[in-house]
Amino acid sequence: MRPYLLQGHERPITVVKYNADGDLLFTASKDLIPSVWRSENGERLGTFHGHKGTIWDLDVDRFSNLLLTASADATVKLWSCQNGECLETFTHRGPVRGVCWAEDNRRFATISDPFVEHPGKIMVWDIEQPAEPILEVDLLKVDGKRVNATNIWWTYLNEHIFVSMDNGVMRLYSPETGSLVKEIVAHEKKVNRVQFNRDKTLALTSSADFSSKLFDAVNWKHLYTYKTDRPVNDAVISETKDHILLGGGQEAMSVTTTSGKVGKFETRFFHIVYQEEFGTVKGHFGPINALAINPNGRNYASGAEDGYVRLHFFDKSYLDMQDPVPEADDDEDAEESKEDKAPAPVAGKAAGKPEQALEYDESIMDA
Amino acid sequence: MADVDDLLAEEAAELDGYFSDAPLDPQPNYPPLKTSFDTSIIITNLPRVPQAKLDKLTKVVIKLVSRIGALATTDDFIGVSMPFDESKGTTLGFCFVDYEAPEDAKNALGVLDGYKFDKNHTISVSPYAIAEKLKDLQETEEFVEPEPAPFVENPNATSWLEDASQRDQFVIRQADETVVSWFDAKNEPIIDYDGSREKEAGVAWCAYYCHWSPKGSYLATLVPQRGVILWSGSSYEKTGRFVAPDVKTILFSPQEDYLLTNNMRQDDQQAIKVYHIQSGKLLRAFPLYPADFPEVEDIPPPAFLWSHDGKYLARMGTNLISIYATPSMKLLDKKSLLSEGIHEFQWSPKANVIACWAPEQANSPAHVDLIEIPSRKKLRQKNLFNVTKCNMVWQEGGEYLAVKVTRHTKSKKTFYNNIELFRLNEPGVPVEMLDVKDAVMALAFEPRGSRFAMIHAENPSAAKVSVSFYDMNKKTEQITVSKKGAKKGQKQSQIVTVKELNKIRTLEGKQCNFIFWSPAGGTILLASLGDSASGTLEFYDVDNKSLVIKEHYRANQVLWDPDGRSVATCVSQPVGGGHFKFAMDNGYILWSFQGKQLHQESFETFYQFLWRPRERLLSKKETNNVRRNLKKYEKQFEKADKERQRALYLEETKGKRFERKKYRDLLSDLRALRKTQRTRRTELQDGYDSTDDSNYVLNEVTVETILSTEEQVVVM
Repeated sequence: MRPYLLQGHERPITVVKYNADGDLLFTASKDLIPSVWRSENGERLGTFHGHKGTIWDLDVDRFSNLLLTASADATVKLWSCQNGECLETFTHRGPVRGVCWAEDNRRFATISDPFVEHPGKIMVWDIEQPAEPILEVDLLKVDGKRVNATNIWWTYLNEHIFVSMDNGVMRLYSPETGSLVKEIVAHEKKVNRVQFNRDKTLALTSSADFSSKLFDAVNWKHLYTYKTDRPVNDAVISETKDHILLGGGQEAMSVTTTSGKVGKFETRFFHIVYQEEFGTVKGHFGPINALAINPNGRNYASGAEDGYVRLHFFDKSYLDMQDPVPEADDDEDAEESKEDKAPAPVAGKAAGKPEQALEYDESIMDA
Repeated sequence: MADVDDLLAEEAAELDGYFSDAPLDPQPNYPPLKTSFDTSIIITNLPRVPQAKLDKLTKVVIKLVSRIGALATTDDFIGVSMPFDESKGTTLGFCFVDYEAPEDAKNALGVLDGYKFDKNHTISVSPYAIAEKLKDLQETEEFVEPEPAPFVENPNATSWLEDASQRDQFVIRQADETVVSWFDAKNEPIIDYDGSREKEAGVAWCAYYCHWSPKGSYLATLVPQRGVILWSGSSYEKTGRFVAPDVKTILFSPQEDYLLTNNMRQDDQQAIKVYHIQSGKLLRAFPLYPADFPEVEDIPPPAFLWSHDGKYLARMGTNLISIYATPSMKLLDKKSLLSEGIHEFQWSPKANVIACWAPEQANSPAHVDLIEIPSRKKLRQKNLFNVTKCNMVWQEGGEYLAVKVTRHTKSKKTFYNNIELFRLNEPGVPVEMLDVKDAVMALAFEPRGSRFAMIHAENPSAAKVSVSFYDMNKKTEQITVSKKGAKKGQKQSQIVTVKELNKIRTLEGKQCNFIFWSPAGGTILLASLGDSASGTLEFYDVDNKSLVIKEHYRANQVLWDPDGRSVATCVSQPVGGGHFKFAMDNGYILWSFQGKQLHQESFETFYQFLWRPRERLLSKKETNNVRRNLKKYEKQFEKADKERQRALYLEETKGKRFERKKYRDLLSDLRALRKTQRTRRTELQDGYDSTDDSNYVLNEVTVETILSTEEQVVVM
């Protein structure tokens, strides 16, 4: 599996995102200029110039016409994807951490950090009325401590606004009234990112407490936990397989004090149900900040603190990979005999095998 | 009457001040009033002597008891009172002793009790308080033998050895957990016991470190508030408890008869305690440092070492080794083994032989001595010159002793090494010297073998080092011409072992600072351990010269299982060490002896990993027998392995299938819900139905790119 190295950014990558059709890849970094790439061949299609601060988040609408970018320069900009023109600027009171289109592709929600006397805010905007947000919710202190929102999503049918916080909780707000509907304590430490699957039935959190958790995004029940030994910065759910991808690594601030090996800047592959890690993809030399998997399941992109976006295409061996546990037959005896014919190879250690297939060898690149 | 007058005059002089007008002494100098008898002891079982010998006996007793501390002497009391029976004309065989300090009296109880006064008299010492209690005791007419306590069967401490699948056990200490697991060197470890019963009952399980006994019969857990608890049997029942407040370390005797506890406290006269395990009786207590041993901060107190059979317990003192014999725990032959300037000693692992070395002193050179116990016969003395330091390494079978000698040149600025090799099993204990130009960093013998390996480099701080292998025996092929029978005149080659040191090979450019032989021999693990090391692990097969390189970053420990099938590498931190720099890497990895990773686990706080030791019950001959029939056993084991693996797999699959079904059911429920919401979603997206595939047009575009063109004339 030889990745395309997308060298379009000069600073740590903050977010990578595919559009709904999976043919475009949007990336943003701390270097102020978001880029869009063709996902099939890694060709850069264009850039979006205009921000004066780090781009923390971006979101593209369902039809890949309009792009929203959230920046630390306290603005959200609306861009035309076709020509890269900035169509509108929405001014906030503090650095904007997250932005998310509503499913009607007209409204969008943002979260901004507290700044001077302004508290952190959740805002809902209409692209037709750029002057004022249509809803504004202040994020109040919890137990005397400031909490910052880290991520924002709309749930299915715009039912709720979903916000994750840096104290490990996740909240659901009503998009009409702005009232708090539900609070879920997910982690002990900061929730770095939350990703939903396509039909928004599952939500996967990534936390600084070295774990990632899968939730049922309708009833908000905790389903599974994926444990690692480093902070998790981003995790995505594969649309085509029962797999999830985890990215992270040692915190950027302590990287310089330790050797490169220790960072574990790998993308880890877990089985969604068995919660077993079955493979890793190496390559980055800084913690992975952002992950995205193509909705068609053929490639995935990872962006890291090292400033590179790596666009990986899955090998056939991965695409053909079967669930390590064979499907159950109705008849127990029949199953027994079937397994007798093909014994040990699938047993227990199935986890070890695909790892070989997935392991990306840096030396191939040099050749 | 003159006497009386004198007395009166004296008294008057004394009272003089009281009647004067001078202000009263605010703090009259009264002797402190003793309100208890805690400074007094009674010594019984002394010889009964006539009047003539009374003085002499008293003198001997005084000399003995004053060794503990000062006696409470006054003008008319010498500190010892020896009652004399006028009617019989002899002493009564006991005496009272009064010390200045209660601590001395307490100490005397421990030290003097059981002292062999002379051939026939072993004195016993009791506190005076006991005598007070016994004073009013009525003597009953007949002695009634007490009922023996009902027999309590101890759990079978060796049941784990009968495991049908020949698995090993290990214990880990992490956070508040102490967990014993089975490991068969193939599949994932299976938890055997984790102290759940104790936790549920709210009783002590393990609060500090834990240790296995040398043969694996007991698991000892340390609970600093109480002491040491022993657990054994298949269900880990409590089989012993030893009071040792603040206990820090323990040391089992090799035969599991005795247990030594140590709380490392300098202020405790009973810092070190020796218990008999079966009876739970405290045999003797020692202070942390031997008498007149310099108590320097940086130098740890000299350690007690057990002899291989548990018969002797020895500790180094100043210019001597104190050897205590079990079970009496008294000095062997009442005197320590004198050894001028001794620096370090070690017991042979298989015989009662002590190896010790002393640096140069005055006119005598540095020397390594081998001393047989209890005869104290010097088996061998080797004199050495210009010695800075010696390190002694025994081979596990006690056949060889290697002494790494660090020598200095005349200027004392440069150092060089050589290695003295003692052959214990040869008459006269011959010594061979191996000159090494390089600095030697580590040396280890192959367990039960004749080979040893050492790490050496030109400079001790060099990044790349060499590892050399030597054999104590030289195997040479000898061609003999047979003289008998049909094969007359035929040449035969025969392998003859000569007891001569020879070098096998040197591996150069290695990155390691520790070497660990597999207990089975043959394989050696070259490891680079510690904070600044790379964590490289090289599994080297010395016979087949095959090398497998792996890595466990930050590893600080390597532990082979007792039979050499698998090896554990750990990143652990000390208990109570507060913040640990590398806590992120804490955990352990289990490898096969060929270097294949079998299992890995990580913990936030990880303290300890210990394999359960097992005794080698097979003799060399039996082992060879097994080796010969390996093929037969192999089939058996393979079959059993397969079956076990299959059973495990089936069970695992079942659980996974169940989980998967649950997950799939949930997903289909959620999908069904989404279906019902489809119209609303389509409305939201201005009539575009994203779930309708007909809305999705897939255009296939073929792009042809001409990479290069070339014109060529084809000759027809």
